[in-house]
Formats: sequence, structure tokens, C-alpha cells
Amino acid sequence: MRNYTPLVTLLLIYAVMIAIGQGIQGMWQPIMLVIFYIAVGQALNIFLGMTGYVNFGYVALLGVGAYGMAVALGYYTDLGLIPALTLGFILAILLAFIVSMVVGGIALRLRGAYFAIATIGVNEGIKYLILGGKIWGGSSGIVLSGILRKAYGAETMRFLSTVFADAGLIVVAILSGIITMYILNSRLGYGLIALREDEDAAKVMGINVRRYKQIAFVISCILAGLIGATAWTLKLTYVFPQDVFAINYTVEAIVIVMLGGAGTLLGPVVGGLIYALLKYYLTIAFPGMQLLILAPLLIIVILLFPEGVVGYLAKAARGTRFEKFVR
Amino acid sequence: MLNVTDLQSGYGEMQVLWGIDLEVKEKSITVILGPNGAGKSTTLKTIFGTLKPWNGRIEYIGQDITFLPPHKKVELGMTLVPEGRHLFPNMTVKDNLYMGAYLKRAEERFEDSLELVYSLFPRLKERESQKAGTLSGGEQQMLAIARALMTSPNLILMDEPSQGLAPKLVKEVFETILKLKDEGLTILLVEQNVFASLEISDYAYILHEGKIAFGGTVDEVKESEEVKRAYLGV
Repeated sequence: MRNYTPLVTLLLIYAVMIAIGQGIQGMWQPIMLVIFYIAVGQALNIFLGMTGYVNFGYVALLGVGAYGMAVALGYYTDLGLIPALTLGFILAILLAFIVSMVVGGIALRLRGAYFAIATIGVNEGIKYLILGGKIWGGSSGIVLSGILRKAYGAETMRFLSTVFADAGLIVVAILSGIITMYILNSRLGYGLIALREDEDAAKVMGINVRRYKQIAFVISCILAGLIGATAWTLKLTYVFPQDVFAINYTVEAIVIVMLGGAGTLLGPVVGGLIYALLKYYLTIAFPGMQLLILAPLLIIVILLFPEGVVGYLAKAARGTRFEKFVR
Repeated sequence: MLNVTDLQSGYGEMQVLWGIDLEVKEKSITVILGPNGAGKSTTLKTIFGTLKPWNGRIEYIGQDITFLPPHKKVELGMTLVPEGRHLFPNMTVKDNLYMGAYLKRAEERFEDSLELVYSLFPRLKERESQKAGTLSGGEQQMLAIARALMTSPNLILMDEPSQGLAPKLVKEVFETILKLKDEGLTILLVEQNVFASLEISDYAYILHEGKIAFGGTVDEVKESEEVKRAYLGV
């Protein structure tokens, strides 16, 4: 029973968001914020939503992805723009792959909460490795704006940090959605659902639970690396360890996944929309007070929809003609 | 079919099994009996591989499988009905059975396995589209056994299948196990229910403080006054 129609809903939502962002003055910035949070949720969902394991080191993967791109653009300008960019994406993927293989290989031997505890240190560990080891500029980070302007001109730099960075992030966000849909329809997905529901039962069915968790973990982490490379390095044109290893992004990603519905395709989209828009407009309306208002609002949503908004919608749509479009 | 020699294992620093030797013959029912904490469940878990053996050797259909992970063992036709059933409560009965046939080898035989399961448990067919969590305790145990059958096994390890069931259902579960033997399956059982399990078994082992205290045919067990008095409390 393979069903890819929820992708129609997904693409439709992106089309509407992009249309609003392009069509209405001043909307592009909030829309890109929304898409950033959707992407962050969607990538985390592939691991958290599918396996039920919480990765508290998640932001570290965005961080190493950001550094991968920054190192390529900052240190290899001689290569020319396109090769340097390509190298940046390769490095972002490679660093995320290596970190996730090592962290997953060790921490995924632990079950449930013990895994979550083990991953808390990852983020701080990498941050202080870069700070203390003075790697890649240490605490002064990598600032690209000057380098890029000198090497390729102001026009190209502006294009990179606006159109290219935004388009790149949108592609990564949609790609995460497509991968999620593919997994949900695949043998891997059924195996992951089994192990999420009951790891012992999954073993009895002959599922290699360690390997499946590792696969989901690595996919989730690589996508996170690409988000870091596009939404941070390319868009902001600088990378500082304190910024890219800020643990609040991990927490926000978890909130978005739970808010929208863990293990669903559209959950992170709805969660990202709710979270980012609330945060953005509350900050404007009540500067300094936004978190005080946001927190109880989020608690109310979670209380009303314990399986997430999309989890609730999928149930409500069962038996109607919208059933095929919600997942 | 299954040969276990000098099996040792435990949890963390604590050793539970101190050298288990046992043999399971093809198309037979073998039961492991013993008091609480003797290591019955630990023995099954170590054989299946959810617990790593510390020492010893496990041989299955002529192969050394001592350190194979569980999923490889399922591939070789061994499965476990875990203690406490471990069903997917939010999935329907049928989906639970589908999940049981997850492996390619099992999926290819899905229709045959399903037919066998439904002939053994007609009630599961009636409740096919009901959520597993809403079944009665007895039906849930049946479903746990049925899901294990869907992996298309030759050897089924069962951890206390009669646990928490009413006497009438206990009888039903044991009758089912006998039927499985008639279907050509081999069963290694761990039980607290001494009488009912000796009734259906061919061979019995008595486990005491992590060691085999006695092993033999059921008749031998029944005849040994010492065994009965010391370990079975009858």
C-alpha cells in the first residue's frame, strides 16, 4: 500500500508559502524563517519521529555542516566559485556523516533515555574542541563576507547569500520531506516503526535494530548538515562556534516535531509553521516577553493534540476523501 | 537441532548462568522448569541473542550460532515469543501478523503462514481488523504465538506463555503448543506451570541457581522422587 499522495499536500504548502513570500511585501523574511524551522524539524523527524530516540546532539550536525561549507568557501577560494561550493556541500555531508557514524556507532548501543543522555555531550564536545583547539579560527570563527567579496565580487556574494542560500535551504527542506515519504513507504520504514513501538518485538521479527537506527540517524544528520551549510554559512556568511552549537536549536527542533506529529510527513511542516510564526510575531508584538507567552501556548497545543496536530488530522481524515493526502 | 554447551551469561557484573548444557531434539517439546530467579528466561534470552553469552557454545542445525545477533537467528528459522507478549497494541491483528512476516524469507511464505495461523487460531481471523491492544489476555498470547509463526520458524523459544492467564486459557495455550509440534515445529519452553507443561513436553530440564540440576525425558523427571520433592514442590 504505497502512498505518495501526501507529497502533493507538502508541495502545495511550499508553493503557497513561496507565493506569499514573493508576492507580499515584507513576507519573505518570516517565510524563510518558517522554512528553516520546517527543515530543521523534518530532518530531525527522520530519526526522532521514526525511532522514538531523542538526539540531544542534533544541533552539532547543523554546526559541522556549517563549518564544512565555511571551510570550503573560506580556505579554498583558489578553486573558483562552483568547485568551492561543490566542495562545501561535500564537506558538509562528509563531516555530518563522520560525526553521525561515530556518535551513532557508540551511543546507539544504549537504549531509550540513556541514548539521549549520551548525546547531550556531543554538541558541547565539538564546540569546545573547536574553541580550545583553535581549529578553523577557533573562537573568532570563519567570516566569509570579505573573502567572498574579494574573490568573486559584491554582486556574486549578494546572490550567494540571498537567492542561492534561500533556494538551497528550500531544496534541502523539500528533499527531507521526500526522503521521509520514501522511508514511510519502505521496508526500512516498517522496520523503524516496529522498533519504535517495541524494540524487543522488532528483534523477534528478525529486524537488525542497531543497523536500522543507525541508518535513520545518519540520514537525519546528513540533512541537518546541509541545513547548516545553506541556512547558516551561505545565508549569514559567517560561522561562530557559539552560534552554530547553540543547544536551543535542538530543543526547538524537538518541539516542532512533537507539536506537528512525530513520525508523520506533514508534522514538521505544521509544527514549523506554528512555532516559527508564533515566535516571529510574538517577538514583534511583545518584545522580550515572547517566550513567556509562547511556552504556555505550546503547552496548550500539546495538551489538545497529544499525537501532534497532524497525528490528530490524520485520524480525523480517516474514511474521508482527504485521507490519502494527510500523513 | 539445538545444542547448548557450558553456556554462561548474566547482566552487568552479575553472572546468572553458570554453565548450562542442554539439547533440543527436532520436532519435540522441551521444557525448562525451575524456581524464580533460577535463570530460565536468561537462558532463552542468551540462546536467542538478546543477551550476549559470556562463554560456552550454542549450535543450531549444525552451525555455531553462539555470537550471532537475534536477526540472523530469525533468518535461520529460530524465533522467540517474549515474556509479556510484546505486541503492537495500536496495530490491528492483521497488521501485527504482517509485521511478523517482515523478513523476505517470511514474506515469501506469507500466504501459507497466514493460513496455518488462522487454522490454529480461528478467533484471530474473526478479530483480524481489531486492534491488538483490545484483545483479551488469552487472545493476545495467541497473537504473540501467531506472530512468531509468521516468521516461518523451525524452532520457537517461548518464555512463559501461560503467564497471567486464567486456568482455562492456560489449557488452551498448551493445547496450541501441542498442535505446533504436530505441524512439525520444535519448541523450547520456559514455564512456571509445572503440571501442564510436563503434560505436553517430551523432555524436561530443571534449572537451579544457574545450573542444570536434572535433565531427561519427562517420564524420567516424573519418576525421580528426589527431583519432584526438591525442585518441583510436588
